[in-house]
Amino acid sequence: MLPIMSSEWYKLSKSRILWILLVGPMVGLFIGLTANFDNLGGGPNEWYVKLLSMNLTYALLFLPLITGVLASVVCRYEHQEGGWKQLLAMPLTRGKVFISKYILLIALVMVMQLLYLGSIYLVGVIDGIPEPFPLNIVWKSIFGGWVATLPLVALQLWMSILFKSFAAPFAVNVIFTLPTILVVNSERFGPYYPWAQPFSMMYIGGNTEDIFFVPWDQLLIVVGGSFLLFFAGGYLYFQRKAV
Amino acid sequence: MMMRLLRVDFLKIKRKGLWLLTVLGPFGVVALQMVNYGVRKDYLLQQSENDWLYYIEYISNFTHLAIVLGIVILTSFIASIENETNAWKQLIALPVSKLSVYLSKFTVITILLFISSVLLLLFSYSYGLYLDLGEEIPYITLLKYSFFPFLAALPVLALQLWIATVSHNQAIPVTVGVIGVILAYSAFTLPDWMIWKWPSLINGWDKPYINALLGLSVGILLYVIGMFDFKRRDVK
Amino acid sequence: MEYIVETKNLTKRFGKEQAVSGLEMKIPKGEIYGFLGPNGAGKTTTIRMLLGLMRPTSGSVHIFQKDLRKERIRILNKVGSLVENPSYYPHLTAGENLEALRKIIGVPKTRIKEVLKIVRLEDVANKKVKGFSMGMKQRLGIAASLLNNPELLILDEPTNGLDPSGIIEIRQLIQRLPHDYGMTVIISSHLLSEIDQMATTVGVVSKGKMIFQDSIEEMRKFAKQKVVLKVSDSESAWRALLARGMRADWDEKNITLLNQSDENVATAVKYLVKDGFSIYRVEEEKKSLEDVFLQMTKEERLV
Repeated sequence: MLPIMSSEWYKLSKSRILWILLVGPMVGLFIGLTANFDNLGGGPNEWYVKLLSMNLTYALLFLPLITGVLASVVCRYEHQEGGWKQLLAMPLTRGKVFISKYILLIALVMVMQLLYLGSIYLVGVIDGIPEPFPLNIVWKSIFGGWVATLPLVALQLWMSILFKSFAAPFAVNVIFTLPTILVVNSERFGPYYPWAQPFSMMYIGGNTEDIFFVPWDQLLIVVGGSFLLFFAGGYLYFQRKAV
Repeated sequence: MMMRLLRVDFLKIKRKGLWLLTVLGPFGVVALQMVNYGVRKDYLLQQSENDWLYYIEYISNFTHLAIVLGIVILTSFIASIENETNAWKQLIALPVSKLSVYLSKFTVITILLFISSVLLLLFSYSYGLYLDLGEEIPYITLLKYSFFPFLAALPVLALQLWIATVSHNQAIPVTVGVIGVILAYSAFTLPDWMIWKWPSLINGWDKPYINALLGLSVGILLYVIGMFDFKRRDVK
Repeated sequence: MEYIVETKNLTKRFGKEQAVSGLEMKIPKGEIYGFLGPNGAGKTTTIRMLLGLMRPTSGSVHIFQKDLRKERIRILNKVGSLVENPSYYPHLTAGENLEALRKIIGVPKTRIKEVLKIVRLEDVANKKVKGFSMGMKQRLGIAASLLNNPELLILDEPTNGLDPSGIIEIRQLIQRLPHDYGMTVIISSHLLSEIDQMATTVGVVSKGKMIFQDSIEEMRKFAKQKVVLKVSDSESAWRALLARGMRADWDEKNITLLNQSDENVATAVKYLVKDGFSIYRVEEEKKSLEDVFLQMTKEERLV
């Protein structure tokens, strides 16, 4: 597993496209410094107000969409100039190729989450928020958001292997992500929609007694279930893909 | 010459799913309201005095996002059709001007978006009728909210087409598009001069037609800049 | 006999189209196996199945006497390949392309230099591959296929896009491999002459079926070339040859010798000169692959 992982990282690290990760904190800074959601009612702590308004836009649209772009990025150089057939004629299983691309992807998403964490802090410093940085809450939100994207990343990896173009997997991503704006308003459907989970798990206004602002059973059934479905789908498809 | 190029470009987008997306976009926007009204119609009807306007406003909450994302997808698709097959060099080597090649791509997407807008009008009108939102149908508003976002989004179209056609790596235009949709989503807090705000039809004067006019004029300007930059570049 | 590659009833269908049907490929160790057939005959599809890139609709592939379905990884450890157009990562340099593959197969780093030297790309090791010419990309592909010191090397149209000197270079390289490294080599081509100059064993495929598989010597019997004589007054010259008991054909213009051994041609020329005819040309008329196919199918040498 390690050799293919290091080869995957090598290929990616040589392309300048990793700069895309910086878009995360940039968007964070932008929302944090422009948005003015005083009416969200985050309590007396200014950090909470910031977090609520920043996480809303970031988790609702940006995170699901950009993870899809990243998935396409790690497949792009295989789609160009016959990369798949060279890679798959190597002495390794297709399963390992799929898993190593997936691990690489979720590591990238984690890096972006941490950069976003930095941007939250920076926004607070720029705005001169007097209260101490509520790391005990923020880390839950950052880590929870990451966990919630695990199934989405699996689906997008599947789509990115399936389609050669960037636009097609992105279109699939958009079709599922846009309805989230409506779905999160519904107490009935919100908890069951996989694309709404990044928002729910980063929403610090959720139940703070739950470890990730959502109940465990929701986490396991919705995030875990959709992860199994999408990961298995992509994995099996890749096994049978003719190259 | 232009007609022939256009015909070729329409031929190239066959079976690529672009027509499907053209229909799916407006359908999706209205379908979301079908779900919304299907689940809580009574509550929504209580919320307002003028049910038609309220319904149109709900739809328009999604129109500008769908249109910005639709533009990102369509422009990237149309550029990658040439990129993937290395067909730019073949196309540019034909006895046609590079300017008309670019214009043809722009026109194809404009036509697709226009069709989307017509469909949006039809879908939202029919579902509105089905919902029985009242006798007085605000035709003018319906027209405005179907076609103004399209006109106001022309600068975004010009920008995305430009980036998509000159980028080797489609990750770049798509990422710019993601940033664009975040800006569009934050339209409320954006200053009036940002092009991503315009499709939402929000502005300081509360007059949607200003966004449409701005879109049309700045769209043409950005289109011309993009076209000349495309012409200037070497073919890959 | 023990075969390095053996396929049994290998078949691939794409919808209704039968791309490969009932292919029985047998390749002994140390051979250079020329896999010959026109474009679209199913060569690349077969090669893809040999590498496990495609699943056969039916039939089996055994490489090193191991079932490809069961021991794919262990087999591919000792296989190098170049399928169709060379594969590469455009954003990486030649050296980096090989490094990305090396990390997977785990050979020492020095091997990169070695294979670049073998294909004579060491001077451009640090250049991005997207700027390479077709021939350079092809050579990089061959370098990549040699990276793991394979026991079986599968090269699909290896001289595609190479210039004449590049073709000779690659040909010499391929011919060296069985002797120097004990490799078995499969090369596919649609050019009879190319296979003729490199291969020791030949498999000919047409419309997805193997129509001939044997040594190159057997193959040459089918590809027998005609020797054509252009002479003054060809009809009387032809009659004169027949009168001396030589077997020849005449087609209004030229005389064709039916036995084209060196002695026979020399004798014919001697007789003609003696009988006072002027000889303008003595030419070999090469047979095209199509002619060979026709002859093979005509003689029903279906394997």
